[in-house]
Amino acid sequence: MGNPVVAVRGMRMAYGSVVVLADIDLTVAAGEVVAVTGVNGVGKSTLLTCLAGLRSPAAGTVSVLAGPPRDTPAFWRAVAFVADQPTWYPGLTVREHLELIRRTHEPVRGWCLPADDLIEIFGLPARADASPLDMSSGQRQRLSLAAALARPSSLLLLDEPEQSLDPGFRRELAALLRDGYAGHGGTVVMATHDPVFALAAGAREVRLSDGGIEDTDVAHGEPTAPPPVAG
Amino acid sequence: MRLVTADQAGALQAAADTAPVDTAPSVRAIRSFVRGRRRRAWEDVYAVGFAIVVALIYLSDLLSDPLSRLGPASGRAAGQAAGQAASQAVAGAALVIGVAAGLLMLVQAFGPLALSPADSSWLLLSPLDRRSLLRRPTATVAAVAALTGLLGGVLALTMAGPYLHHGSLALPASWLVLSAVGGAGIFLAVVFAAALAQPHPRWRARLRRSCAAVMVIALVGAVAGERWTGLSDAITTEFARTTTGTLGVVAAVSVALAALAGALGWLTLRRFPASVLRADSTRTGTALMAAAFLNVPLLTWIAEDNHWRGRLLTSRRWPGLPPAMALAWADWRRLGRRPALLTVLAASALVPALAGAAITGKPHGVTIAAALLAGGIVSGLHGTAATRRDTNDQTLRRMLGVDPAAALLARAALPALLAAAWLTLALTLLAATGVLSGWLWPLLGLAAGPGVAAAALRMARTAPINPADQGPNLAIGATPPWLISRMLSVIVGLIGAFPALRAVQAGHLHAGTFTAQLPLSAIVLGGYLFIASSLSP
Repeated sequence: MGNPVVAVRGMRMAYGSVVVLADIDLTVAAGEVVAVTGVNGVGKSTLLTCLAGLRSPAAGTVSVLAGPPRDTPAFWRAVAFVADQPTWYPGLTVREHLELIRRTHEPVRGWCLPADDLIEIFGLPARADASPLDMSSGQRQRLSLAAALARPSSLLLLDEPEQSLDPGFRRELAALLRDGYAGHGGTVVMATHDPVFALAAGAREVRLSDGGIEDTDVAHGEPTAPPPVAG
Repeated sequence: MRLVTADQAGALQAAADTAPVDTAPSVRAIRSFVRGRRRRAWEDVYAVGFAIVVALIYLSDLLSDPLSRLGPASGRAAGQAAGQAASQAVAGAALVIGVAAGLLMLVQAFGPLALSPADSSWLLLSPLDRRSLLRRPTATVAAVAALTGLLGGVLALTMAGPYLHHGSLALPASWLVLSAVGGAGIFLAVVFAAALAQPHPRWRARLRRSCAAVMVIALVGAVAGERWTGLSDAITTEFARTTTGTLGVVAAVSVALAALAGALGWLTLRRFPASVLRADSTRTGTALMAAAFLNVPLLTWIAEDNHWRGRLLTSRRWPGLPPAMALAWADWRRLGRRPALLTVLAASALVPALAGAAITGKPHGVTIAAALLAGGIVSGLHGTAATRRDTNDQTLRRMLGVDPAAALLARAALPALLAAAWLTLALTLLAATGVLSGWLWPLLGLAAGPGVAAAALRMARTAPINPADQGPNLAIGATPPWLISRMLSVIVGLIGAFPALRAVQAGHLHAGTFTAQLPLSAIVLGGYLFIASSLSP
C-alpha cells in the first residue's frame, strides 16, 4: 500500500464523560471503499466528522490525504462530505446547483460527472428545472449525492448515503461509487446500515462496537482484524 | 411561544382517557387540565406587564402629536388650516389607509386563524370540536383587529381633523367615537372576510391582491397629494363636507359588514380544514418565534422559500466566471427572477418622503434619516440570501470549496449596488417632492450605498439566533446577546453612511459631505470585509 488516504491512530473521542470512540485505528488506501457499520450511537457519524476535520479527537492522530483534516478551502477541494442535506440556494434549479458546483471547481482536474449526466443517472430529469424545495426527501438525498459527484475529489465521506433512497437506486448508487468514483482512484468512507448496499459497493466493512473497531471484508463476510477493543 | 412538555402531554392523554368512551373530551376540559399543571413564574407575568407598559409609553409618545390636533387649538385653526399644510393631512390620512392595508396583508399571510404549535400538534388532529378549538384564536384575532382598527380610525380622523367643519371648538367626542367604531368595523370586516377566504387559495389571493391595490393607491395618493397642492386642496375640501351623519353611516355600515362576516365565519369554523390550519399554524409559529427574537432574516427566509415553492423555472447555463464570482452570481440570478420584488423595493423608496411629510410634518429630520438607513440596509439584505444560507448551514459552502474571503468579496457587490440604487432613488424622490432642495442629493445615495451594504452583509452573516440566549438565566432588563449583535450591524451602517444621513437630517448638502462620504463608505465596507475575511476559516 502506498500513502494511505486516511490514517487514524489511537483515536479517542468523547462527549463530556461519555466515551464514544476509544483507541480507534483505521487505514484506508486510495481507490478503496470502506463501509463503517454498527448500531445507532456507536460513533459512525462521529468518526466521519473527525475525518472531515469538523471535530477534533480527544486523543490520537487523524491524517487525511497526508495531513491533519482542516476546515479550509484547500481541504474541501479534495474532500467531499455528504451528511445532512445542505440548505440549497433559493431561486436556483436543480441543474443550476449542479452546474454551480462544477463551475466553482474549475479548472476541473479529476473524475466527476457533468450536470446533465448526473441528472440522468440520479433520476432527476423531471425535477431538473425545479427548486430543490419542491422535491421529496429521497430526491433531495439524490441531489446531495449527485452534488458530491459533480466535482472532482480524492476522498468521499458519506454519512448513511442510502437513507431515503429506494432499493433499486441504492444498487445503482453502489455501482457508481464502486466503478465510477473508486474505479477512477477515488476513496470512499461511508457510514451505512445497509449491508446489501455495502456489499454492492464492494466495500470493506469496518464494524464499530462498544467504541472499538472490527474490520470485516464484506465480500467474504469474515473478520480481517482482531476482535473489538474494549472501550 | 408555549410548548407542551412531557408532563403536559401526559396530562392531555390523561384528560382524554378520563372522558366517556363515546364522547370526545371538551377543549375546555383539556385546557384547564393543562393549565392546572403549568406553573407560571412571577417573572413571566412581570416581563409581560413590563412589555405592555413600555409599549403603551412608546405608543402614547408616538400618538401625542397627532392626537393634539384634535384639541381646541387645532379646532380654531380649522377652515384656515393655519400652520398645517393640506398635503400633510392628505399624506397622513393616505398613510394610515396604506399601513392598514399592509397590516391586513400581513394578517392574511399568517392565517388569520392559526393555532399555537402545541395545539396544532396535539389538539388539531383529534376528535375535539373544531369550533371550540378555534374559539380562542378567533377571539384573539378579533380583539387585535378591533383594537388596530380603532386606532386606525382615530389616527385617520386626527390627520384630517384641522380640515373638518365642526365649529371653532375641539372635535366633538361623537366624531371620535364614530371614527373609532368605523375603523374597528372596517378592520374586523376585512379580517373576518380573510378568515372566510382562508381555506380557499383563490379567494385568499384575490383578497390579498385587493389589499395590495389599496395600499399602492394610498401610497401613490399620499405622494401625489404632497406634490400637487391642487389635489390636496380638493381632498381637504371634501373633508370639510364631512358631517356627523356621514361618519355615522360609515360606522354603521362597517359594523354591519363586520357582524355579517363574523356570523358567516362562525358558521364555517366547525368544518375549517385541518390541513390549512396546520400549514398556517406552522408558518405563524415560526414567524412569531422569529419576530420575538427580531429575527428578520428568518422571516424573509420563510417568505423567500414560500415564493419558490411550486414554481417551475428555466435552467440557464452558469456564466463562465471565476469560482468566487460564479458563487456570487447565485444571488444575481435569484433577484433577476424576482422582478416583482425589485418593483416593491423600488416603490418602498417612497417611504422616507412619506415619513418626512406625514409623520414629522417637517421637511427633514431624524425620521427621514432613520427611514433612509433602514431602507438601505433592507435593500442590501435582499442581495444576501445565499450568504445567509451559508451562514446558517456550511454544508454547501464546503461542497463548493470556494475560499470564504474571496466569496465574501464577490458577494459584497450586489448588496452595495442595491443599497446605493435604493438610496439614490429615495433621495431623488425626496428632492422631487420638495422635502429636500437641490438636485445633487441622489449622488449622495451612490456614495453612501457601500457603507450601508456593510451593515447588510454583517446582518446576513450574523449567526442564527440561539433561543438559549433569551433563556431564563438572562436577567430581566438585560440586553440579550443577539440583540447586541444586530444593533452593532445597524451601527456599522450608521457609521458607513453618517455624512449622508447627517446632511439629510440637517437638510443641507455641501461639497464636504461628498468628500467625507466617499472615503468613509470605502473604509467601512473594506474594513468590514477585511475583518470578516480574517475571522473566516
